[in-house]
Amino acid sequence: MAADPEPMVHGTLMAGFAQACINLKIVAGRQVGELLADLDVSEWYPLRRWVQLEQMIGVTYQNVDPIRLKLGIEMMSLWYHRGPGRDVIRRGVDFLHFQTGSTGIVSVIRGPQDLVGSFDLREFDAAAGRAVIHSTTPFHRKIESGVLIGGLLAPGDLDYVNVHNDGDPDLLVVEFH
Amino acid sequence: MARLEDVLDEGDAAAVHELSRAELERLLWKYRGLRKQVERDTAFWQATNDTLKTAYERLDEQERELAHAYQTIRQDLEIAQQVQHALLPKQPPDMLAQLDLAVYHKQLTEVGGDYYDFFRTREGHHAIGLFDISGHGVSAALIMAFLKAQFMQTMEQVARPKEIVEWVNQASLGFLREVRRYATVNFVVFGERSIRYVCGGGYGVLVRGGEIYTFSKGDPFIGIRRRPYTEFELSFYTGDLLALYTDGLVEAQNAAGESYSSRRLNALICAHAHEPVTEILRRCVDDYHGFRRSDADDITLILLRRREA
Repeated sequence: MAADPEPMVHGTLMAGFAQACINLKIVAGRQVGELLADLDVSEWYPLRRWVQLEQMIGVTYQNVDPIRLKLGIEMMSLWYHRGPGRDVIRRGVDFLHFQTGSTGIVSVIRGPQDLVGSFDLREFDAAAGRAVIHSTTPFHRKIESGVLIGGLLAPGDLDYVNVHNDGDPDLLVVEFH
Repeated sequence: MARLEDVLDEGDAAAVHELSRAELERLLWKYRGLRKQVERDTAFWQATNDTLKTAYERLDEQERELAHAYQTIRQDLEIAQQVQHALLPKQPPDMLAQLDLAVYHKQLTEVGGDYYDFFRTREGHHAIGLFDISGHGVSAALIMAFLKAQFMQTMEQVARPKEIVEWVNQASLGFLREVRRYATVNFVVFGERSIRYVCGGGYGVLVRGGEIYTFSKGDPFIGIRRRPYTEFELSFYTGDLLALYTDGLVEAQNAAGESYSSRRLNALICAHAHEPVTEILRRCVDDYHGFRRSDADDITLILLRRREA
């Protein structure tokens, strides 16, 4: 089967992002309608539409990184508490294992490998409470950091979660306890 | 040993000593986790606040620009208002030798669409015109100036009201169509013992001895289409009263949604027709103000009575 010429993003991810924006009151009024217009959670959408959504936030905020982080957390909270998350993971660390071999990411983005990239669990040390994810996806790393924090915290069994970069922006170092 | 969740739920600080080392470690991570969460939330709210601050500053700036633009518009409107006042007639004394006159003219906005004027035909007869120009504002003032010029020019060419209005209509049709405006016309020429009038919209009544003669209307407004106008003649003797008014007066509504109506106004004028025109005018205006909830249009009411020669 021929690969899609352009990466496609699943409607659930788009809807999750849009809903997170609404919940956090990052957008309001007319923009809410624009965010959710024609959005079908069973459809796939061109990556550029996701980029448009992201840009909508980018142009509004001067310091957008804390907003992106919070959006990622909220998206995964919605995924777990109001979406299928509970059926996929039981504990916080399950969310990390779910990323093994880019399992998680392929459920929300598809297309040419060089454009879709990967989101892969590289290291996992339960005793030290440390894991490393390597990401080459087209998504913003701050949103991905938020996704990891939100996914790990959502089941409620972890007391501490933090994600930071060790110099390499594509390496997401996760601390959890 | 106590459970961390129980200790935290009960809030008993002394119970912390009953926690195991593992539970104490968990407490430390919980504390650090909360700190991280506060850190993230603070950064989020700080970013939101900064954006709000910028938005407010931008709003402030736009408000100042808006205020400046509003000021400019106000000044323009004031000038238009002055121009319009200058266009409205001063009471001509030679006309007052033959007629008692009372006028109530109120504009809904700074610049209105009601326009009245006194003229002298080329045969030397006095004439009065009352017009209601569609719309308000500067455009109405401009059209008023245009119509005034047209009438002044036409007066030098023809004398009969029918001819005058037809000339003006013909001369104005193209322009008024282009700017999508029109004007009702009520044009009356006073003869020795009669009046001759053309009525294309607006209202006119003549009161004599308790009887009311309503103007026949049915002719088009000025600026609608090219068509001959019809001229009517009514006797107008000493003591007879003539009232001309625009729709703003009779279409105004009370709180119940009822219109003031020409029937009510005509009956009031008729009932007090023997009184001085200024007194009749006062009664009409008071009655109108007592009736209507608010003005919805420009209002003009003109009363004229034939004096003894």
